[in-house]
Amino acid sequence: MDFKTGLVGSSSSTDRELDLIIAGGGPAALSAALYAARYDIEHIVLESYQPGGQAALTALIENYPGIKTISGGDLVANMKEQAESWGAVFKMASVISAVPLKDRIQIKADSSTYMARSLIIATGAAPAKLGVTGEDKFYGRGVSYCATCDAPFFRNAHVLVVGGGDSAVKEALHLSEFVSELTLVHRRDKFRAEPYLAEKLLSCGNCNVMWNTTLKEIKGDEGVQSVILNTPEGEKELELDGVFMYVGRKPATEPFSKLVELNENGTVKTHEIVRTSKENAFAAGDVTDNELRQVVTAVSDGARAASAVFDMLQ
Amino acid sequence: MALLSDNDALEVRNIFGSLLRDVHVRVYTQKLECPTCKDTETILKELEELSEKMKVSFLNSLANREEAEKDGVDRTPAIIVSDGTHSRVKFYGTPSGYEFSSLLTTIIDTGGSEEPLAEDTIQFLNELDQDLVMQVFVTPACPHCPPAAVLASRMARYSSKVRSEVIEANEFPELSRKFRVQGVPRTVINSTFFAEGSLSETMMVNALEKGLADNPSDETNLVDYLQNG
Repeated sequence: MDFKTGLVGSSSSTDRELDLIIAGGGPAALSAALYAARYDIEHIVLESYQPGGQAALTALIENYPGIKTISGGDLVANMKEQAESWGAVFKMASVISAVPLKDRIQIKADSSTYMARSLIIATGAAPAKLGVTGEDKFYGRGVSYCATCDAPFFRNAHVLVVGGGDSAVKEALHLSEFVSELTLVHRRDKFRAEPYLAEKLLSCGNCNVMWNTTLKEIKGDEGVQSVILNTPEGEKELELDGVFMYVGRKPATEPFSKLVELNENGTVKTHEIVRTSKENAFAAGDVTDNELRQVVTAVSDGARAASAVFDMLQ
Repeated sequence: MALLSDNDALEVRNIFGSLLRDVHVRVYTQKLECPTCKDTETILKELEELSEKMKVSFLNSLANREEAEKDGVDRTPAIIVSDGTHSRVKFYGTPSGYEFSSLLTTIIDTGGSEEPLAEDTIQFLNELDQDLVMQVFVTPACPHCPPAAVLASRMARYSSKVRSEVIEANEFPELSRKFRVQGVPRTVINSTFFAEGSLSETMMVNALEKGLADNPSDETNLVDYLQNG
C-alpha cells in the first residue's frame, strides 16, 4: 500500500503582476518551476486539472537517467516536492487564453486574470481521439485513455489496445496484469515502440497482436460489447469488454494561438529549442515541435526556458 | 506495523504544521464483511498521532447505528472530515494512493485559513436553491482523481446544501455497477447525471448550473451535454 502526500492546489487567486507564469503541470512545467524558484523569479505555476500531465499516467518509467525504475506518478510527485521546497508556487487552474498586452502577457485561467512579464507554455498534450464511431459514446463506459486509472475495472475481461508506440505497448503490458485477454491492433507491420518493450509484449502470455489492422467501430449497449476491425483478411467483429486508445497526442496549445505561432499539427513553433515567435513567451515539453517526447527532454526544455526567462528579465 | 513509512509520516507531520484549528474526523468501521476497515482504522490512528489538532473518533457502524444514520453513513469504511459542526464531507474506502492526497488536502482545507474555492464557485454555492449530492468515484492509482475529489469536498465544506462522497470504486463494486462506472474520476450528481473526467472548477460549476436547471436523464454525461447543447 502506498500513500501520495502531495496536496491539491487552491484555485482562489489574487490579482497581481508577476515576472513569470508557467502554464502546465507535467515534467516540463515542474522543471521550469524548480529553476524559476532557484533563480528567484516571482512566478506562479498554473497547474492543470490533470496534475503531473501524461507522465503521471505512465505505470513504469525505466529510461529516466539515474533512476532504474519508478512510476510516472511518483517521479512527478518527487519533482513537484523538490520545486516546492525551493519556493515554487502552484495554483490549480486551466489557462483559457493568453494574449499580448503592450510588453506584458495577459493570461486568463478559469475565472482569474493574470498579468506577467513572461510566460512558459508547458501545457503538454492530451491523448488524441481516433474519431471512430462509438468512441465518444462509450468514453467512461469501456473506452479509456488511462490504463493506470481504469485497469481495475477490467479484471478478467478481454480488452483491445489501439496503437504501436511506446505508450501503447507500455500500457498494454500494465493492463495484461489485470485482464484475461488482451488484443493489440496496430496499423503497421511492426512496432514503433522501443525494441525492449516490443519483445516483452510479444512474449506476454495473454496478449495477442494483430498487425496491419485498424479499429473501425466500437459497438455495445450500456457498455462496450464488440469492435469492428479492418484486418488484411477483411472486416472482423471481435467481442470484448473495453478499448484503450494510444493513438498519439494532441498538443494543448489552443489558448495560446493568439500569442505564438503554431505549426500545422498544433504544436508551438520553436527556435533555439524553447524560444517562440513572441520574445517573452517560451515553450517546453510536449507542446513544442521537438521530435523526441520523453520526460528527460521535457525537463531539459523546462530548465532552458526558465534560464532564458532569467536572462530576459535582467 | 505502521502503514505510513517514516518518510511519509514526517512529510504529513510537516503538512499538518499548517493546521490552525481542530479538524474533526469520524471513522466508521465494522468487523464483519469489511476487509479494508482495519487498514483504514490503522491509517487514521497514525494520522491522529501526527498533530494535536487532529481529533479522530472511531465508531463501530453496527454498534452505533443511530449515529451512523444521523451522519448519513450507509457503508464502511467511512471517513467524515469537518470542523465538528456537520457531516457533509465523506470518504468511502481505504485512503491509500492518490486518495490519501485527497484526504490530506481536505484535512488542510478544514483546519487552514485560506478559502480555496474561486469567487465564481462561491457565488454559485451562495445562490444554490436545492440540495446537491456529489459522488466522486476514484481509484487509488488515478493521478487525475484528487482534483475532482477535492473540488466536491470543498464545495460540500463551504455550502450546507452540498454533500460530497468520494468513493473508492474498487471497494464498492455494487455501487460502481449501479452507476456503470468504468472510468475515473466520475462525479455522479444527485444519483442521476454525471461528469466524466477531471473538470476545471469553472467547467464543473457551468456543468452543475446547466445540469441542475435542465435535470437531464441519468444517461447524460454533462461534459457532452455542455458541448452539444
